[in-house]
Amino acid sequence: MADKIAIVTGGAGGIGRAVVTRLARAGFGMFVLDKNERAGQETVELLRQQNHAAEFFRVDLQYKTEVQDLFETIYAKTKRIDALVNLAGGTLHKHPIQDFSLSDWCEVIDVNLKGTFLCCQAVIKPMKMRKEGIIINTSSNFGITGSAGRTAYAAAKAAIIAFTKSLALEAAPFGVRANAIASGLTATARVMTGHTETEWREMGKQIPMGRSADPKDIAEAINFLASDESAYITGQLIHVNGGMVFT
Amino acid sequence: MKRLEQRIAIVTGAGQGIGRAIALGLAREGAGVVIADVNEESANTVRKEIEAAGGKAFSIRADVSNENSIEAMVDKTLEAFRRVDILVNNAGIFPTSSVEEMSEADWDRVIGTNLIGTFLCTRAVVPTFLKQGSGRIISLTSGRAFQGAKNGAHYAASKAGIIGFSKSLALELAPHGITVNVICPGITDTAQPRGHQTEEQIYAQAQRIPLGRIGQPEDLVGPAIFLASDAAAFITGQTILVNGGSIMW
Repeated sequence: MADKIAIVTGGAGGIGRAVVTRLARAGFGMFVLDKNERAGQETVELLRQQNHAAEFFRVDLQYKTEVQDLFETIYAKTKRIDALVNLAGGTLHKHPIQDFSLSDWCEVIDVNLKGTFLCCQAVIKPMKMRKEGIIINTSSNFGITGSAGRTAYAAAKAAIIAFTKSLALEAAPFGVRANAIASGLTATARVMTGHTETEWREMGKQIPMGRSADPKDIAEAINFLASDESAYITGQLIHVNGGMVFT
Repeated sequence: MKRLEQRIAIVTGAGQGIGRAIALGLAREGAGVVIADVNEESANTVRKEIEAAGGKAFSIRADVSNENSIEAMVDKTLEAFRRVDILVNNAGIFPTSSVEEMSEADWDRVIGTNLIGTFLCTRAVVPTFLKQGSGRIISLTSGRAFQGAKNGAHYAASKAGIIGFSKSLALELAPHGITVNVICPGITDTAQPRGHQTEEQIYAQAQRIPLGRIGQPEDLVGPAIFLASDAAAFITGQTILVNGGSIMW
């Protein structure tokens, strides 16, 4: 395996693949975590074809013991994790609030927010002991603007910002950094299948830069935050959205 | 692989401190750099440093608060390099005075240099950026924009103004593929904080910064290169805080 190790949750998704490819190019040995076994194996195969060290683990981030066991397995192999990127998440359920069942609402919070918390918790102690480490969490434009029908998702994504700031404060004295990125409309296969080509172009035009994000745009920002070039940046939220949302 | 090969950058206030570090960093990445400073001697020194390291640079005396001086700065840049791709609005001043005792002249000087200077430099490069269909504008603000500055109301106002200006300009220029962003340092190890703080006060501040130290000019270099490079093509209108966690926004 490589000298430095990165874990990316949701690493087999549309954005995930761009992120793991970029980080592998930057010299990280990659652990790709995802719920989707087949996409995960394909992603790792892709990385290996490019001569990058990569392994896949299937995980369901809602379950504490599953997460803990997995990170123990990884630590036993590598002795270190240099960067954790929490990408896993999604809208999952979209309903007006009066129709939103508690179990659906909780699932959205768990997958997005609790999953992020559990993964951070699994790496924070060893990172503090080694006095280095980088955590990158994923918020969303909706975490700032809100979104009708996405009360749970927007709440989880806003919560990730405050969680990340708090974690950054706890970790900073140990030289461990935590930041978040937020993106909006991104051209992934999953999102694009729901729209015709014309619809998609029209949606892109609503964005000041006139297009949706390419997964590579997100990957570059994450690579920046995972590098020494951002050594003095912690607790911050970096927006990659073509000018759609400012804070 | 150098990330800014073939690009030309103008950095204002590049004769010292953060501006100097950014100019050296952009040059390291292959950019030709125009070292603009109101102090011509310091600009020449930085130019020689870049040339000694094998980089390409041009130095010029420029007063960002003076329209003619800035138009001339951009004209001479275009004469020398035929193009300009990156503008770093770094020049700024931070004199201290309470609002009660603040003279109109003090107010005008701070707003004129920090905010109007940013406007003038930006306006001077935009026609070229539009013609080229590309360009990067990076302006420096300050944590004072968010938290205010006792005895520095003019400075805080000017730095907050830069953020509002940049967001608006980002919206204007986004359709043309030109990005406009802001870098916000915290207290940095340069001459500036020493103009109004003792070494003990600076040390005490460092203890309160989550990462446990004040910033070094070099800390701003990575973020500036990132925003100037292709890697940040889809980032616009944003403020990146580089402050060791002292303010989280």
